Amino acid sequence: MAKEECKALLDALNKATACYHHLVLTIGGSADSQNLREELQKTRQKAQELAMAIRGRLTPPLRDRGLGAEERAEFERLWVAFSSCLDLLEADMRRALTLGTEFPLNKPLRPLVRTGVEGGAANVAARALSARSLRHEAERGFDVEDLHQLEREILQVGEMIHDMEMKVNVPRWTVQARQAAGAELLARPSAGVSSMRCVSVEQRMGPCDPSKALAATIFSAVLLAAVALAVCVAKLS
Amino acid sequence: MAAGPASHCGLPRAQRPHLSKMEQMVVSMQDPDQGVKMRSQRLLITVIPHAVTGNDVMEWLIHKYCITEEEALHLGTLLVRHGYLYPLRDPCHLELRLDETPYRFQTPYFWMSTLWPAAELDYAIYLAKKNIRKRGGLFDHEKEHYDQLHRKISHTWDLVVMQAREQLWAAKQRRKGDRLVIACQEQTYWLVNRPPPGVPSVLEQGPERNSCTAGRVQMTKTVDFYRREVECLRKALGRARVKSSVCLEAYLKFSSQRGPHDPIMSGCLPSNPWVTDNDTYWAMNAPSAAVPTRLRVEQWAFSFRELLEDPVGRAHFMDFLSKEFSAENLSFWEACEELRHGGQAQVPALVDAVYQQFLAPGAARWVNIDSRTMERTLVGLGRPHRHVLDDAQLHIYMLMKKDSYPRFLKSDLYRDLLAEAVVPPETKRRVFPFMRKPRHSSPSPALLPASASREPSGGDGEA
Repeated sequence: MAKEECKALLDALNKATACYHHLVLTIGGSADSQNLREELQKTRQKAQELAMAIRGRLTPPLRDRGLGAEERAEFERLWVAFSSCLDLLEADMRRALTLGTEFPLNKPLRPLVRTGVEGGAANVAARALSARSLRHEAERGFDVEDLHQLEREILQVGEMIHDMEMKVNVPRWTVQARQAAGAELLARPSAGVSSMRCVSVEQRMGPCDPSKALAATIFSAVLLAAVALAVCVAKLS
Repeated sequence: MAAGPASHCGLPRAQRPHLSKMEQMVVSMQDPDQGVKMRSQRLLITVIPHAVTGNDVMEWLIHKYCITEEEALHLGTLLVRHGYLYPLRDPCHLELRLDETPYRFQTPYFWMSTLWPAAELDYAIYLAKKNIRKRGGLFDHEKEHYDQLHRKISHTWDLVVMQAREQLWAAKQRRKGDRLVIACQEQTYWLVNRPPPGVPSVLEQGPERNSCTAGRVQMTKTVDFYRREVECLRKALGRARVKSSVCLEAYLKFSSQRGPHDPIMSGCLPSNPWVTDNDTYWAMNAPSAAVPTRLRVEQWAFSFRELLEDPVGRAHFMDFLSKEFSAENLSFWEACEELRHGGQAQVPALVDAVYQQFLAPGAARWVNIDSRTMERTLVGLGRPHRHVLDDAQLHIYMLMKKDSYPRFLKSDLYRDLLAEAVVPPETKRRVFPFMRKPRHSSPSPALLPASASREPSGGDGEA
């Protein structure tokens, strides 16, 4: 079915955009490296491929005048999600260009901001590309050429968005999203291992809580000691 | 929401120079040899590097810029308030403390200049993520924002939920320490850009002059780019610039000259009407007062423009000029002003009348204009518009300013005016407070103004 395919592609694009956002966060920080720039390039190219594919699938049904109202509403929903996702991607790409120009990797004059983030993001990129792991082949001057490439891609995405707006007319105010407010608190409907993991969200221990954890351990230790003493007293008497 | 074809917008960063200065400061703090000393933060299991204390930051600022402690504290607080540095223990209170509280630097993505202005979709995604992580435990103001956003962008709510989930998943692929740091960074960014109620917002500034979202960086420099640069620089060269020494001297002179005349700086006589409900001050300084106050007459000596702008001054100047037989200059000037500010329909008739009365050879009140200006005016009179007499008016104005005005200031007429001018006496302050005139006189006799220290037997007739 066309709709299921579109949904699957949209999910993949969503995943790629989220991973790209996550990778762009660390440009200029202490985790910046040629590898990161390469991961960025691969992620955004994958995202663009997906975007082209979705656009190819979604445009014909929406331009087809003889489509039923139900179906049309469904496609419009997908279209709105797709175009917002593309806007997010374009904005992130622009920021990546600005940050990449400001923090070039081979010039030691401008040191990277020490943000405390270390460690690679290879897993993030692998998730975006739906691959097991990622091979890094970046050479030394990779980031400079990449920036030129990025500029071209930004223009392409901008043109694609403009084109989309011209070809398909979907008024935003008529589209009703499926998810209501607070829908993210419910478990994810998609089947598979991922839904089980999603429900059991691990408790995030903020950097402000070490004293609390320490207090909890001490308290439990004292409690155990008290129980042991009580048992001894009971045995003796 | 979709962007149009790429168009070159102005330089948004140039409008917010304080941000670029702060960023330069932050980058120079990162220098491995001369930057701020870095420590590590120890959590229960994880160790996260790159923490700084408030003391280190202060010392570095004092050392690098040779400033006092107070100034360094202020600078440091600015850095924290704008989100370039965030505290690790108490993230909701953005201030610089001078003890061992640890801070960390914000990643350049979340700097105020990169991500300006904060987008609503991003905020919605952040709130959705926080909702998932804290299982609905948002703050009150965040809940309100959440509802508002849901109403505003309900059409993209699918995407909001999807993105929130995916971003959390992407974050899980990282090490625990990195995950914590990134979460803190995002939280700080939103604390700065959507502050909780009661916290002053650093975003408040005047109306946006060039509101475009992200600066367009250009890597490939085309011909258009250089053409625009040349244009911009040419305009910059053509602007008149005044040396600051000249400017400041003029400013000092202005302040010392006008100081005694300013009602707020030097008080107003007889009394401030807003305080004592006595509006003698306004009556005496009305534009058409018969006898001007001394301060007003003194003000006419500051510049010719002051004299002409005051109706009383202008009238006295006209008297002086008629004694000198050059009153037609001022009449011509006034007629030109009327032309410039009058109605469009009257322009041709007025131009004609002025010409007949003042400029025609053998006119009744002929004004003396030099030949070049006269030629230009005569040419322009063929097509009359409201600015056709501007050159002639300016010539007469400069003539009066250089010639008649200094003579006026030295004349007996002016000296008599100064002598006759009124200096209103200051109202006597009443010694006994309960004898003071009531501030609000009540119109209805039923409402007696309640004054606690009223004499029981006395009872001034204040009903």
